[in-house]
Amino acid sequence: MKRLLVVDDDADMRLTLKLALELAGYAVEVAANGREALHAQRRQPADVLITDIFMPDADGFEAIDAFRKEFPRTKIVVVSGGAQFSKRDYLPDAELIGVDATLQKPFDVDTLLGLIKTL
Amino acid sequence: MRLRSHLLLLSAATAAPVLVLAVVVAFLVVRQERDTVRDAAVDRVVAIMSGIDAELRGSIATLRALAASAQLETGDLAAFHAEAVRILKAHPDWLDYTLSRPDGARIASSLPPSVSAQTALADRESFELAVRNGEPVVGSLAQWPNGQKWGIPLRMPVMENGVARYVLTAVLRPDAFTDLLRAQRLPEGWIAGIADRHGRFIGRLPPAPHGQLASESWRERMQRSPQGWFRGRTIEGRETYTPYVTSSLSGWALGIAIPVQTVEAAAWRSLWLVLIMVLLASGIAVGLAVLLGWRIARPIAALAQAAEAAGRGERVGFPLRTPIAELDSLSAALAQAAQAMHDKHELAEREKAALQAADRAKDEFLAMLSHELRNPLAALTAAAHVLRLAAPGDAAAVQARAVVDRQTKHMARLVGDLLDISRVAMGKVALERERFDLAESAKNVINMWRASGRLERHQLALDIRPAWIDADRARIEQILSNLLDNAVKFTPAGRSIAVSVGPQGESARLQVSDQGEGLAPGSAERMFDLFVQGERGLDRAAGGLGVGLALVKRLSQLHGGSVSATSAGPGKGATFTVLLPLVQPATTRSGEVVREPLLAPRRVLIVEDNDDARQMLHEALVYGGHEVREARDGASGLALAAESPPDVALIDIGLPDVDGYEVARRLRASPGGRRMGLIAITGYGQAEDQRLAYEAGFDAHLTKPVAPERLKQVMAGLQ
Repeated sequence: MKRLLVVDDDADMRLTLKLALELAGYAVEVAANGREALHAQRRQPADVLITDIFMPDADGFEAIDAFRKEFPRTKIVVVSGGAQFSKRDYLPDAELIGVDATLQKPFDVDTLLGLIKTL
Repeated sequence: MRLRSHLLLLSAATAAPVLVLAVVVAFLVVRQERDTVRDAAVDRVVAIMSGIDAELRGSIATLRALAASAQLETGDLAAFHAEAVRILKAHPDWLDYTLSRPDGARIASSLPPSVSAQTALADRESFELAVRNGEPVVGSLAQWPNGQKWGIPLRMPVMENGVARYVLTAVLRPDAFTDLLRAQRLPEGWIAGIADRHGRFIGRLPPAPHGQLASESWRERMQRSPQGWFRGRTIEGRETYTPYVTSSLSGWALGIAIPVQTVEAAAWRSLWLVLIMVLLASGIAVGLAVLLGWRIARPIAALAQAAEAAGRGERVGFPLRTPIAELDSLSAALAQAAQAMHDKHELAEREKAALQAADRAKDEFLAMLSHELRNPLAALTAAAHVLRLAAPGDAAAVQARAVVDRQTKHMARLVGDLLDISRVAMGKVALERERFDLAESAKNVINMWRASGRLERHQLALDIRPAWIDADRARIEQILSNLLDNAVKFTPAGRSIAVSVGPQGESARLQVSDQGEGLAPGSAERMFDLFVQGERGLDRAAGGLGVGLALVKRLSQLHGGSVSATSAGPGKGATFTVLLPLVQPATTRSGEVVREPLLAPRRVLIVEDNDDARQMLHEALVYGGHEVREARDGASGLALAAESPPDVALIDIGLPDVDGYEVARRLRASPGGRRMGLIAITGYGQAEDQRLAYEAGFDAHLTKPVAPERLKQVMAGLQ
């Protein structure tokens, strides 16, 4: 069974994703920002990191970099509500930021589940 | 053509007539000079000729006296001869004398008889003339005697009874006349000559051989005119001007040849002088023209350069000082134009920057909007997924429903804000002004906020004193609500939020201070720009689109007021101050301040499926002291009304089961329904909606969001 770590600054988002993923049989840990996520990961490493990249404390990209260095085997899925209206908010291709997959909010949970299975 | 050329042309045009005049004058001067020389020479010639004539007259007088001697009359030729010889000796200029008969035969002579016998009559012409006319005649140069020497015969006829009996002749020495000329002391280089009737020189200086013919040019002139002035060549071939005169006494001509150079030298000197002066004047004119041209052209060129630079948008040291008044005004005008252009350019730049900033803000807003809408949607999608899979009673399902509830409310608030700001931005907000006390209005809002529990995490400090304004009550309350919303959003729980209301000078002040994150220096003005977000709020679920403060600003301005923000710095809290024009309190005739109309407590039924909207109406009505019952759909609303008819029913038009119109129709038809006050509440405020509402039996029509004050007014109107 895979362990998942959901990182999002929105409590409701964390909660619903956790509920939905747990229903699919995964063990899910949540964190509100990059710092918390790193703490949680060090406590109990997850196989897949599902993170928003537009978070208040640490910039999402910084968190991803930290994960890449410290936990190179952890798969990373980036989700974002960003659209192509400004450079800052643009959700880039997965390869560009060196992650395994990207998803734009809102997304179907089944799509996310399928993505997790392929990783 | 260059300015310098124009000036040269101008000076040339001015100088040309002067030059022409100068040339004319020069020629006149030359002629004058020549005439002066000529006149002087002619006078001289005439004077000398008079001298010669006087000389001849003297000889003629002597000869006449001799001719009248008694010895001749008596025929005593020997005595006559003695007398004649005596006179001859007394006259050194006389060479000889002869006495002849009219036929030319010589009777007596100073010549030796042997010579006289061989000598023929010389100059027969003058001899015959004297015989014919009976008058003395000065003859022409002739060789005498027998070609030995030259002499000039002076013939005197001796008359007897009107007929010449003898001709007495004195032979004059030609050199005597040359001596006479020499005595004139003529200037160096001048040539004087006396010619007889035949054009032979009698005397000349410098001397010429006796009998030498005068120059051809003079002889020609003499033929044409007895006296005159001509230019010709002397026998030596020298170029001269010659004045000459012919004596009526002797028929001789006297000419004084003056070298051409002598005559023309003065003229040429004058001419040269004039020419040099003309050249000098022209040179000075050209120089001045060039200098002036330079002085004019240089500032013009500088101006042109400056104007070009200004055209390129460079800063130029206008206005330039020039030595020319017209150029100074041109410079000033150019400076003005440059300044205007510069100002316009700067304005355009500022506008461009503002446009770009607005564009950026809009981009950011759209990105933010996307984010703000996608986030709740993502949570809702995930919640829907959970609800689909989880059993309804599961903890997961319960949590998911709570999420759906929260997120939909959140989204509804977002959409409400958006619609509000667009209405205000498009100027579609008409103010319903009335005169009221800002303090009362502020208390209303704060009480509503307290009732809803939204202030329970913060301490509230109030300082509220009366300040009357003429404003739209609902909009003023919206201003305070937005300021409170902002304060709550950025102030950590447990800290204080202060609200103060009161007069401040000519204004009514509404101030909300928080102990939140404060403002970064310089960001105070931008706070009120549309779509500008503060740093992320503490709780993003409660975050907005950054339109709240923009609304505050626009609404304040609509009321003729203003809003400002101050902060001691990041982390030190912020204070937002709205100033509105202060007015006199509304008074009754008795001078008593008007109190707000108090509504009698009513029984009110709310039929509204939207929890938030229902909740808000509920709070407003309870706060107003009314008794409130609620229904979430038409059927339950009708059921509650059937149980106990309300005084007033607030009915949402868009209900899940039957629409609000149907509910109103049924209520009107129910027992006691006629006296019931029916108020429609819709999301639409179109005239068509209002018409439908009144047709269905509604008494009044309110558009969401319903302002508590408006509701109060409408309810008061139903009494």
